[in-house]
Amino acid sequence: MLAQLLLPTIFPILSSVDFGTAAFVFGMTIRNPAVVAFSFGFIITAFIILIYYWDRRRIAQTQTMYADYLQEVGDRRRNFLRRLDHEIKNPLTGLRAALVNLTEEKTEEERDRAVMNAKRAVERLTRLLTDLRKLSDLEERAIERFPVNVPELLDDVVTAVRILPAHEKRDIHVLIPKVPSPFPTITGDRDLLLLAVYNLVENALKFTSADDSIEVRALEDGRSIVIEVADSGTGIPSDDLSKIFEELYRGSNARGTEGSGLGLALVHRIVTLHHGGVGVRSSQVEPRGTVFTVRLPRR
Amino acid sequence: MSLDRPTILLADDDPTIADSLAPFLERAGFHVLVVSDGMSALEKAQAHHPELIILDVLMPRMDGRETLRRLRKINIWTPTILLTQVGEASERALALEEGADDYLNKPFDPHELLARIRAVLRRARPGERSLSAAWLLTAHDLSLDRRARRASLAGKVLELTPKAFAVLEHLMTHPDEAVTRERLLDVVWGWEYPAGTRTVDTRMAELRRALNDDPTEPRFIETIPGEGYRFIAPVRGEG
Repeated sequence: MLAQLLLPTIFPILSSVDFGTAAFVFGMTIRNPAVVAFSFGFIITAFIILIYYWDRRRIAQTQTMYADYLQEVGDRRRNFLRRLDHEIKNPLTGLRAALVNLTEEKTEEERDRAVMNAKRAVERLTRLLTDLRKLSDLEERAIERFPVNVPELLDDVVTAVRILPAHEKRDIHVLIPKVPSPFPTITGDRDLLLLAVYNLVENALKFTSADDSIEVRALEDGRSIVIEVADSGTGIPSDDLSKIFEELYRGSNARGTEGSGLGLALVHRIVTLHHGGVGVRSSQVEPRGTVFTVRLPRR
Repeated sequence: MSLDRPTILLADDDPTIADSLAPFLERAGFHVLVVSDGMSALEKAQAHHPELIILDVLMPRMDGRETLRRLRKINIWTPTILLTQVGEASERALALEEGADDYLNKPFDPHELLARIRAVLRRARPGERSLSAAWLLTAHDLSLDRRARRASLAGKVLELTPKAFAVLEHLMTHPDEAVTRERLLDVVWGWEYPAGTRTVDTRMAELRRALNDDPTEPRFIETIPGEGYRFIAPVRGEG
């Protein structure tokens, strides 16, 4: 394909270079300085024209790529604003309704309910704002780079999620290989990594029921450390899979759930800051389940 | 200090905030003066000698920071709480550098503000400049240079991570006060953080190692089981 694209413009020049080289060799054999000098100049000129074309093509390509990039950034911004608008609109509507109820309802009980609803709406807005701030903060802050003990980190996450209402005595299995021992460390910011894994486990708890099992496991393959958070829940529709790491994207089965819609975007940002990658695989048919994979380079 | 009802000067240009906070603070037993810009805050502070000042950072005519700087310049050391807009680390560091006694990020829970007000008033020594406004803090042979972000023990510079330094700074500016793990996480991160207790505890272990402080017989930092930590050494502020 590349040859097809390049040949029409380059071919005449290339054959000129061929011709020039032949003339040059011929000039050398008959020891004629005039022919040698002429063919040498011919080759150089052909080369210059070749480079000129090549450069122009490169510039054009870069320009197209840049335009695409701008388009993509613009799209992402528009998407983000549209989703943000939506995320703010809902709790605000709830808040307004609650205030109307608060002024109009007659019974104590109904007023109490209005206050409760207002509080919930405010909490939602606060959570959204906090997560937005985290995201923007991570863009500017330099991260720490220290050895992080992975088994300890996962243990901490499992302890920290215990206070979540979705936890309710559910078991989270932590699997850590016994060999190599001790488990190799990763270099990074422990607090941020904890936040990333915490978000994944919190999601797993949120989107599964009490009968489903959740596993947090660590693996190493010599070059990187892989942390996986797996659950046997209903799974994520394949249409959503590519978009769930986008800011404020809500999958079709995440519409009704609590959350800022920024949790996975935060995970993505944190892992990227650590020069790692994050991925997901999910199946809604047997064998059912979702596995989030965080791959972090060993130092 | 008037014994029964301490006076609070509240400066915020947003009427919905001032209008809701003032009655809340009145109910909590304070006398509240409300102003809507830095200039009038400066005037009122000189005329009424409030026990505490709450300044919003973004205000017309003169912003909260400038107001605070000018107050300190004319030697008014009234304890001050800054209401900051952004949760970024730089913003918080600035709030403390300018001699604020505490800061609170908007949006906040009014009860949180009340707790901070009470803590700041408890800490305050009338007429004296507070530890939060000092550049150099010393306790025994430990000294903390806040401008240079450097701590040294018996003349030797300690190697501390920025986060451990932030924790030590907070503890030293709040001596003799029980500081919860959640609060310390907020100091380090500036936003709500899922409280893995070990996150703070590892930080604390690092700090204790550096300070050569034995947790069973602490010279500097005491653990309060189930609550948090307390800086027990007497702290002096300079500069």
